Amino acid sequence: MEVFLQQCVNAISLGGIYALLALGLAVVFSIVRLINFAHGEVMTIAGYAIWLALLSSVPVVAAIILGITVAMLASVAMERIAFRAMRGASVTSLLITSFAVSEIVKVLFQNGISARPVPIVLPAWMSGSINMGFLTISVMSLISIIVVAVSLVALSVILTRTTLGVAMRAAAEDFPVVRLVGIKANHVVALAFAISGALAGVAAVLWVAQRGSVDPLMGAAPVLKAFIATVLGGLGSLSGAVLGGFVVGAVEVFLQGYLPESVAPYREAISLSIIIGLLVLRPDGLWPAQNVNRS
Amino acid sequence: MMTKLTAKLAAVLFGTTLLAAPALAEDFVIGVTAAQSGWLATYDQPSYAGFKFCIDEINAKGGLGGKYKAVIDVRDTRSDTAEAVKVAQEFADKKVNFIVSPADGDPTMAMGQITSPAGIPTMTFAGTAPILTSVGEFVFGSYPGDNQQAAVLGAYAAELGYKTAWLLKSPDSSYTMKGPEYFGQVFEAKGGKVIGEGSFTLNQPDFSAIVTTIKALDPQPDVIATWAWEPDFPAFIKALRGAGVTTPVMGADVLDTPTVRGLGDVVNGIVHTSGGYPEPGSKHADFNARFKAATGMEADTNYVVNGCDIALMIDAAVTAAGSSDPKAVRDALANLKDSPGNMSNFTFAGTDRMPLRAVVLAKIENGQKTFIRRQLADPATMPKP
Repeated sequence: MEVFLQQCVNAISLGGIYALLALGLAVVFSIVRLINFAHGEVMTIAGYAIWLALLSSVPVVAAIILGITVAMLASVAMERIAFRAMRGASVTSLLITSFAVSEIVKVLFQNGISARPVPIVLPAWMSGSINMGFLTISVMSLISIIVVAVSLVALSVILTRTTLGVAMRAAAEDFPVVRLVGIKANHVVALAFAISGALAGVAAVLWVAQRGSVDPLMGAAPVLKAFIATVLGGLGSLSGAVLGGFVVGAVEVFLQGYLPESVAPYREAISLSIIIGLLVLRPDGLWPAQNVNRS
Repeated sequence: MMTKLTAKLAAVLFGTTLLAAPALAEDFVIGVTAAQSGWLATYDQPSYAGFKFCIDEINAKGGLGGKYKAVIDVRDTRSDTAEAVKVAQEFADKKVNFIVSPADGDPTMAMGQITSPAGIPTMTFAGTAPILTSVGEFVFGSYPGDNQQAAVLGAYAAELGYKTAWLLKSPDSSYTMKGPEYFGQVFEAKGGKVIGEGSFTLNQPDFSAIVTTIKALDPQPDVIATWAWEPDFPAFIKALRGAGVTTPVMGADVLDTPTVRGLGDVVNGIVHTSGGYPEPGSKHADFNARFKAATGMEADTNYVVNGCDIALMIDAAVTAAGSSDPKAVRDALANLKDSPGNMSNFTFAGTDRMPLRAVVLAKIENGQKTFIRRQLADPATMPKP
């Protein structure tokens, strides 16, 4: 029972990070119909910003804030430099553009800094654990869960209580009408990328804190999982992305924890088969958007 | 305007023709595949830096065997095995004299299926899977094989009094899969017992579930052994220590990097194998100093010095063969015995072309690599590939 509860905590912790990333993808997709595979590189940029800040003896909290800020700015810059020129293009063209941005950023880091991971050393207390009765939760898992919860609540407030947030939700439903009522498209799109970048920045903080290093390819694996989560949740659905993130995290953790050793090497295949099975049952996703044009 | 443009085009075409021209008769062309991007770049880049540095030194002294100018044709494989295979075919068509393949067994084996029938000696930068030479008679290793490292590490674990071990493996590469298995074989041959194992995927996002499984073991193992590399090893050890598991961890030569040593307290006490250790006054230390003086870069991993040693292996083989003929060079290389290297001496004679080289045992203490000892693997306990 203790092990099961421990694995539940692990699933929530990992699923939360996937949920943040999936939400970042979904926010952008819901408005500009772009599946941004360079989202993982926003994470990587945040990771390197934190590394550089710590290397320059910036206090940890300031380094974390800097990392999230840099992620926001990087995401907005990507939109301004690469994606704005492609606005209105087909989903395929946008997808290829995002792959190009992703590759360029990776190669810049590989040749500009190092192809090798660089270590990120956070304070020792962050590597510790806390005894909670029969459960021992690592400090980082606890921080992850709290940060994910706070981030999701903050995003919910922005989307429901601010004018631009409401405009974003409206744009996700019907972008041309939002423009007709006088809201500037560029502002809405820029806000979507900024929020997406901030979510990637928060995910990056949790990711590098748990993994202890940052490398040029750091964002590739999590963004793929996040993409799976957004598809599972329902492309374009913000709530679905969060749900998808937690489901993908839970499937991974429980398969890792409970598959017999003899079939453990097939874990990824089994995990993806489960997700395909869920999509066969619910082709529009677990929590589909009300109005979304699938390509 | 047109005249200038035509002149420029002619100059470019002339230059291109020169580049594409066949090598001179006295040139010894070495085709090198070195990933400049992707996960293998971590190992290929420093290996190539050391290799290039020593080839330049050898050329400055008159060339390979004192008479053949080494000409490097380097290609970026982007860590993609399919690209490595394509490049291997190009090298075979070009009839290069020697090929240096990526620092991993899997692309090396894929390349060897083309280069070995083509009769071109092929040596991996740092692939350590001992099965890699089974592809063909022309395929060579350069670094101490996983079975050699496991023989030394497994025996040391038993010597420390550990009775039980838990293995962390990944089926995604022969290195991460077979290394811990070799360790387990040696450990059990020395009286220890493997009480369990776990599986991970390369670049696995999260290790908390594996760590929970380890933590629930009763009794706890005396030692955990893994051949996991970056970024998986940092993620694993952070999760392990974060969960309060203090079981000693042992690993292979991939842990010999500044990234792992820079992880702070969580890596204190980790014992790993290594290809070498630059004791003051050693040839290894001298190489590091020369390399830094010439390039301004620290040789902060053994892949740099091993890259240099590959150049020395080729030089020794060409010298012994007295010829640039690939078959003669292959035969000479396969018969080298206790030939001098900077990291360690190397012997191919009597082996299946994975060189017998000394293995260093090292421990990470306060962010530093500390020397435990250097020894050759005992052939009696070395697992068969």
